[in-house]
Amino acid sequence: MTIKEIEQQIVEEFSIFDNWMDKYQYIIDLGKSMPVIDEAGKKDENLIKGCQSRVWLDCREEDGKLYFSADSDAIITKGIISLLIRVYDGHTPQEIIDSEIDFIDTIGLRQNLSPTRANGLVSMLKQIKLYALAFKEKDEEKAAAGDNGKYSIEEVQKNVIRALKQVFDPEIPVNVYDLGLIYEVKVGEDRSVFIKMTMTSPTCPMADDVVNDVNNAVSDAPGVKSVQIELTFEPEWDESRMSEEARLELGLM
Amino acid sequence: MEDNRSKILSEVRGMVPALSGKMNGEPLVYLDNAATTQKPSQVLDFLSDAMVHSNANVHRSMYELSDRSTSLYEVAREKVRSFINAPGRENIIFTSGTTASINLVADTFCRRLKAGDEILIEGDSHHSNIVPWQLAAERNGAVVRVIPTDVMLGKGRSGRVAFEELDSMLSDRVKILALTHISNITGLVNPVGEIISKAHARGIPVLVDGAQGIVHEKVDVQAMDCDFYAFSAHKIYGATGVGILYGKTGMLESLPPYMGGGDMVETVTYQKTTYAQLPLRFEAGTPNFTGAASLSPALKFAEDLREGEVGKVLKDEEGRIISFMTEALSSDPDIEVYGTGENKAPIFTFNIKGVNAGDLAQLLDKMGVAVRSGLMCAEPLINSFGANSALRASFAPYNTLEEAQTFVKCLNRAKNMLL
Ligand SMILES: Cc1ncc(COP(=O)(O)O)c(C=O)c1O
Repeated sequence: MTIKEIEQQIVEEFSIFDNWMDKYQYIIDLGKSMPVIDEAGKKDENLIKGCQSRVWLDCREEDGKLYFSADSDAIITKGIISLLIRVYDGHTPQEIIDSEIDFIDTIGLRQNLSPTRANGLVSMLKQIKLYALAFKEKDEEKAAAGDNGKYSIEEVQKNVIRALKQVFDPEIPVNVYDLGLIYEVKVGEDRSVFIKMTMTSPTCPMADDVVNDVNNAVSDAPGVKSVQIELTFEPEWDESRMSEEARLELGLM
Repeated sequence: MEDNRSKILSEVRGMVPALSGKMNGEPLVYLDNAATTQKPSQVLDFLSDAMVHSNANVHRSMYELSDRSTSLYEVAREKVRSFINAPGRENIIFTSGTTASINLVADTFCRRLKAGDEILIEGDSHHSNIVPWQLAAERNGAVVRVIPTDVMLGKGRSGRVAFEELDSMLSDRVKILALTHISNITGLVNPVGEIISKAHARGIPVLVDGAQGIVHEKVDVQAMDCDFYAFSAHKIYGATGVGILYGKTGMLESLPPYMGGGDMVETVTYQKTTYAQLPLRFEAGTPNFTGAASLSPALKFAEDLREGEVGKVLKDEEGRIISFMTEALSSDPDIEVYGTGENKAPIFTFNIKGVNAGDLAQLLDKMGVAVRSGLMCAEPLINSFGANSALRASFAPYNTLEEAQTFVKCLNRAKNMLL
């Protein structure tokens, strides 16, 4: 759904309530059901300035889309953030920067907040856009690095292998590279990456997760423009494909 | 008896138009009186009348309008004098508020201090009775020391100032004491008379922040023997932007001029200026003369609420409000009240465990109940209770037991929504 569509959905939900106590109850329930972020996420640099209550907002990028997590010591504030997150989650930095949301006014939220809380809301919106801007810049840097050959093909190859060594098999405590699951890594002229890989067994129930992890790790590697993964069981994997380190690690040597 | 009570209460409330107003479609329950009070018709009518019939700058011109304005201003000064039983007109200085009054004293008195001199303040101070002293102390290396509360000492949770610490703190280095008559957070009445005697025994002058004290206690500055007493007109039914600084004559005369300009001079030449007599010496620039003049009807109203049958009924009502609130709040195990014990004005600051005070205030607003949340300009005191915000319901003599009951009912509703 687009940002506008999600906004529309929220406006419709709020139109069911005819008084503000009920609307608040709904916002409070949203606040209560929002996943808590752990203490590590409550870093000072994530604290939004300008809110009367303390509000932490964190943001991460996945596949070019932004995802937010937040917390506050005030439940109503938390409920309001959860609405903002619902609107913005899973959109690209550019979409977020371009968006002009108006559901806050349409449902009368802004007018019904105390001025200090309304200011806090403005600060939250500003912080979301700042995150979007920051990630957009980062993405552009990355793209530029790929385009102008800031990283050579060999460097990208090394970066990819380094990234692969960060991904672990769910059953054997060894990374997928040293385990010998990676059959081929090819970096193209345009720094697109092709990976051919396997699983320890064709019936591995976690296959999708592993492929996903590999995809994420490699996409984030410096200089990588895009990733394509081919899963194969031809030839079938066996222990002899493990590196010496891996075998040492597992006490097989 | 009950008839009399409700008759008097509704008469008093009838005089204050704002009290029959609405907020968010609900009948207004105004419980933020420690922040500012609602105004009676006498004050409102006076203000508009003065603007129409007596608006001219004070102490300046020869025409009748100006005389009228000056006269209203000076009549109000006399009203303030008699209200706090000051010896004379020269002891009453109009400022822009309690904050301005304290700044005036801190700034001018502390110019005589040297490095290592001490200023004592209380652990229950409002920022207005902390920061001016810090600013003044910074200039000459003086030190601001704090008489702690029992909470700060880890000896209790009442929030009462541990004045027993004072004996060991009073020394020759202490040059002034800045007390709080009644804390705007705890509502506890400090034994200022006693402390002043102790300080005076060592020749140390005392300023009292009376922003809350003036509303809830009968103040006689000569009996109290304070050297300075500061309060705001707006907290006692008068206009905003007006404050009073009472000072003993000798004390005020010992202070250098504060702000320069306007009417605070005797003669001005480019070489040398001589200054006006008290009180004008400290009233530089055009004062808020209309606002100041509103103290005449405002203090008259305050007196009316204290005297005779009305006074008795309202005093009883206040007693009932305090008992009801104390009982209601202390019977909830989730609530901690900041400021407990005897001798308490109807100011209740507290937190509900696991609930954010701002959330409560916001829901109460929707139910027509106006209360304050946050730090209430007393960050160190609120922090000492382990909180970084709190909720405060503060009552004025025109509030009723029914309003206290409505407050508690709405508070519980809000609590249940949030928990
Ligand atoms: C104890 C106390 N001191 C000082 C002040 C400051 O008063 P004003 O803002 O009118 O200067 C207040 C009011 O908030 C107060 O309650």
